[in-house]
Amino acid sequence: MDGESRINYYILFENYTQGMMLQELLRGEHISSRISPAPRSIQGESGCGMSLLIQPEEIGQVRECIEKNQAEYYDIVALPCQINPRRDRFC
Amino acid sequence: MANYVEMWKELGMDLEAHDALCAVLPSAFGDVYLSQENRPEGMGFWDMVVADIHGIRPAELMEAQKKGQKVFGTFCVYVPDEVVVAADGIVTGLCGGSQFWVPGGEKVLPKSVCPLIKASVGARLERTCPFFRIADMYVGETTCDGKKKAWEILGKDVPIHIMDMPQMKRPQDVKKWEDEIREFAGVVEECTGNKITPEKLGGAIHIINEKRKALARVYEARKAKNIPVSGRDALLVMQIAFFDDPVRCAQMTNRLADELEQRIADGVSVFPAGTKRILLSGTPMAIPNWKLHHIIETSGAAVVCEETCTGTRYFENLVDEAKTDLDGQYAAIARRYMGVNCACFTPNTGRVDDILRLAEEYDVDGVIDVNLKFCCLYDTEGYTVEKALKDAGIPVLGIETDYTDADAEQLRTRIEAFVEMLG
Repeated sequence: MDGESRINYYILFENYTQGMMLQELLRGEHISSRISPAPRSIQGESGCGMSLLIQPEEIGQVRECIEKNQAEYYDIVALPCQINPRRDRFC
Repeated sequence: MANYVEMWKELGMDLEAHDALCAVLPSAFGDVYLSQENRPEGMGFWDMVVADIHGIRPAELMEAQKKGQKVFGTFCVYVPDEVVVAADGIVTGLCGGSQFWVPGGEKVLPKSVCPLIKASVGARLERTCPFFRIADMYVGETTCDGKKKAWEILGKDVPIHIMDMPQMKRPQDVKKWEDEIREFAGVVEECTGNKITPEKLGGAIHIINEKRKALARVYEARKAKNIPVSGRDALLVMQIAFFDDPVRCAQMTNRLADELEQRIADGVSVFPAGTKRILLSGTPMAIPNWKLHHIIETSGAAVVCEETCTGTRYFENLVDEAKTDLDGQYAAIARRYMGVNCACFTPNTGRVDDILRLAEEYDVDGVIDVNLKFCCLYDTEGYTVEKALKDAGIPVLGIETDYTDADAEQLRTRIEAFVEMLG
């Protein structure tokens, strides 16, 4: 993963069914996405702990895919990369 | 997870404290799992389970309870799932793998009890885990002194049945375990209101065997020269296997195994060529304990097998499906479970044999023998394990750790040095 300055996009959902449906659509268009627990700081009132993690290079295609298919989601939030494999903070 | 707030309230959970746990899970999961490249696509299922770990499965369990099914919470791989499934009950693992729950356990237990027990007790008494709230009955067992005393404390808060584990593996001990299983079956029948018949028990034995076979396929794939899945991912599959519906678990695990076998055929590895292969032996790693796997796999090595309760002990050996009467079936179940080699037995030469066999089967470069702090049994047996490995010329590193982050840097230094020593 790149440094902290890299931006990741998290797509939030009302429920995991919405999330799985969107991932299926993205997969059909060969757009990569990864299932991630939604970071607590952005989860707000969304109804689901699941989010889709999207790299910045692909967010444009993702938005197009959502629009084309009228896919349901709660929000798209940009965050500096939250992933740091050397942090050694477990839960 | 706002969807589930009403459910958690219904379960009497401490929402404020639970929220603090929910806050740390995403970053830990991201660091350990989403930092990995080229993970199998099939792992998406387990990622989803973790993303809503206190939502999706607990909601399923509560729905089943509304339809009259009972949920049994277990803490050990010796408790036979087959008996519960045969009575149309549901099994959910309850071992706590988070430091978050440890202080709650320490309010009623000495600090010198292993973190798994402290976390398990803390999760129940502090009301911060839905699985601990949902279970209609806990099933304890006498595998160690800490657990025995913990059951007495938990038993004041929740119905609990305790299975008396033999300490040896003589024929009379296997017979004793068979009797314990039969008595447990009676308890399960009473709790569920359902009679266990040979047909139902036969069906349940088959279901759990199929789950074991699926998990074994994933492990078989890890023997390949090109390692198709990380140890962290394999650990996650095992951890969730304790919670999931056994039929779905087998289905999803088989799907993953298909993908791994294709990766092997295509020469795909998630590690660079020459990465040192590690066998982990020792104490279980209950979810979300990913600490040691993560440190090893970010220190230049790959975990290719776990000789633990969250590893081979959980799925190796099947129950004989040929028996058609209850006596024969209970005896077959007892034989299979008494074939599991835990440090609670004496003598326990079978475990050393297992470790030496697995080291060869998985072509490992070294073994890390780990015990959770204050687990006297595995700590003591470590001497025998490490001596046998040294005698066999297999490099071994003994590690004692817990769920805290405090020793992470020290562990990383030791493990990096060990991996470097492997050449």
